[in-house]
Amino acid sequence: MIEARGVEKWYPNGFHALRGVDLTVEQGEVVVIMGPSGSGKSTFLRTFNALEDFQKGAITVDGITLSDDLRHIDAIRREVGMVFQQFNLFPHLTVLENLTLAPVLVRKLPKAEVQRRALDLLERVGIAEQAHKYPGQLSGGQQQRVAIARSLCMEPRILLFDEPTSALDPEMVQEVLEVMQGLARDGMTMVVVTHEVRFARQVAHRVVLMDAGVVVESAPPEQFFANPQHERSRQFLSQIS
Amino acid sequence: MDSPLLRRLRRDLFATPLDGLISIVLVVALAASAAGLLHWALVQAQWAVIQANSTLFAVGRYPLDQQWRLWLLTILLAAATGLSWGLLRALPRPDRPARLWPFNDRLAAVLLAGLALGLPLLLRLGTAIQLRWWVITALLLLARWAAGRWGRRIPDPVRRWIPLIWPLLYLLGMVLISGGLGLVNVSPSEWGGLLLTLLEASFAILLCFPLGVLLALGRRSALPLLRWGAVLYIEFIRGAPLITLLFLGQNILGFLLPGGLAPERVWRAAWVLTFFAAAYVAEAVRSGLAAVPLGQLEAARSLGLAMPQALIHVVLPQALRVALPATVGQFITLLQDTTLLSLIGLLDLLGTARTVMANPAFLGKNAEVYLVLAVLFWGCCAALGLGSRALETRLNTHSTAKA
Ligand SMILES: Nc1ncnc2c1ncn2[C@@H]1O[C@H](COP(=O)(O)OP(=O)(O)OP(=O)(O)O)[C@@H](O)[C@H]1O
Ligand SMILES: [Mg+2]
Repeated sequence: MIEARGVEKWYPNGFHALRGVDLTVEQGEVVVIMGPSGSGKSTFLRTFNALEDFQKGAITVDGITLSDDLRHIDAIRREVGMVFQQFNLFPHLTVLENLTLAPVLVRKLPKAEVQRRALDLLERVGIAEQAHKYPGQLSGGQQQRVAIARSLCMEPRILLFDEPTSALDPEMVQEVLEVMQGLARDGMTMVVVTHEVRFARQVAHRVVLMDAGVVVESAPPEQFFANPQHERSRQFLSQIS
Repeated sequence: MDSPLLRRLRRDLFATPLDGLISIVLVVALAASAAGLLHWALVQAQWAVIQANSTLFAVGRYPLDQQWRLWLLTILLAAATGLSWGLLRALPRPDRPARLWPFNDRLAAVLLAGLALGLPLLLRLGTAIQLRWWVITALLLLARWAAGRWGRRIPDPVRRWIPLIWPLLYLLGMVLISGGLGLVNVSPSEWGGLLLTLLEASFAILLCFPLGVLLALGRRSALPLLRWGAVLYIEFIRGAPLITLLFLGQNILGFLLPGGLAPERVWRAAWVLTFFAAAYVAEAVRSGLAAVPLGQLEAARSLGLAMPQALIHVVLPQALRVALPATVGQFITLLQDTTLLSLIGLLDLLGTARTVMANPAFLGKNAEVYLVLAVLFWGCCAALGLGSRALETRLNTHSTAKA
């Protein structure tokens, strides 16, 4: 589904953030990306839907090669959903409108049909009764579940998560992780940047450790947590446990 | 003797001895100046200058036999205002029940009725004209009442199109004022007074807004040419006094704009006002854009929205909400800036006033004239301010509504 080869990125200020990253994500696979702060996790994740550009290497998403061609970028963004650390819900729209905006505008689907689907999705993430409230009236955990539902409403084939629980109060982390676990069970292809070790152990098919702009280790969670192959991985694990 | 009013007075005005002292001094001072003003207005002032020139102040030299067109427009405007006002109260958003007659609305209605009754009476306008103002005000309030009362019964599809009456009315107003569609042409050089002032201001307000938004977007554009163009324009306009631009415009606008767009001095001035205000609106909108987190655009783009869609549906609604107070402040300034038109020889309200005061028959009646001018401008600005406040509360539902 995602195929990244030798991706290198320099920020405009000259900082070399990605130094040749390789990653393959299969259909239905859940990949968790871990790594110390500043290692380039967000930067890498955001290249998948062209929120960040890159200078070297190649990325293919769902059979479409990422290039400067705007049509390709739009096509990829339709198939790839993204959930942000800060939720980024649209505060001036109700929860329901947050969900229906993109399918109506981008996929040109009839509004009534999209609304029906949106309500189903809200039901699925457990907040159907909040459909007509504004995001500012919801708790952080509820907002993040709305953000997930908003991405799902576009019926993406891949979902990207950038530290989806890092901005949440501890008691709300679980409700969001449960929704993500449900998605994984249903076979959604997911790439998740997170520090939640338990989630990585239980849900991920593969854990990837990034450091200083490169992938250091890529292994199934059992092996990654019990028997990491690289010195850098052992260091990282000892820091977070 | 412990009514709520008394208690409130005691709390607000006499909480401490010092508060009480300040309150008393202020009340006495206010009362004294109000009494002075009232005495002057009712006894000393000679309103004949207004009475004799009321038509001139209102519409300038607009042909007498065509003035029914302006009355018709006024009637339509009053009805549309009452209708919109009433509907605004009758149709609260589902999450925010509003009252049909909040205190401010009652105050505004009483003030309006008082002005309509009092002002023509004070100025001793002709009975026929007095009567017309009363009927028009009554119509406005009636429309307000009826729309508030029955607004909910209007079926949804119809309701959605109601705001369209405003642009339609504006176009119709243009036709009524200038002619066409079977009406006799009235040349812009014959427009004057309040009519000209409102026309110039509304034209500039309507056009400077979209222009300002485009400039603000241009200033943040990734294309260097667009960005530098916008910066250059905004900084040039903001660095030049309006009066010089007005003089400049009279001389060069004929060459700059496609022929026929600004053949008249009146229209040239309107374009200069528009271009001038757009630069300031752009700055207000820019601060609004800066207040929208980058994550909003990223979220919209990651959902597949194209850039224009993301701007129109996600970024601009939030930015304009932030920019609204500053933008309306700009509109109010613009309305007041129209007085500069008198310096380039147009007969707007101030220009008309100057010709009247120069008339030997009305020598020394400046105070009367200026007072009426001040009241008229205050009324227009207050209406703008009230309208924007209503819009603001309506737009802010999401941030004020709490679970
Ligand atoms: N716009 C930018 N311009 C220059 N450097 C940047 C920019 N954005 C990020 N960086 C740098 O690139 C590096 C990688 O950033 P990135 O946000 O991808 O890290 P991360 O692994 O997601 O870290 P965190 O866990 O803190 O989110 C960091 O050193 C950061 O300082
Ligand atoms: Mg990050």
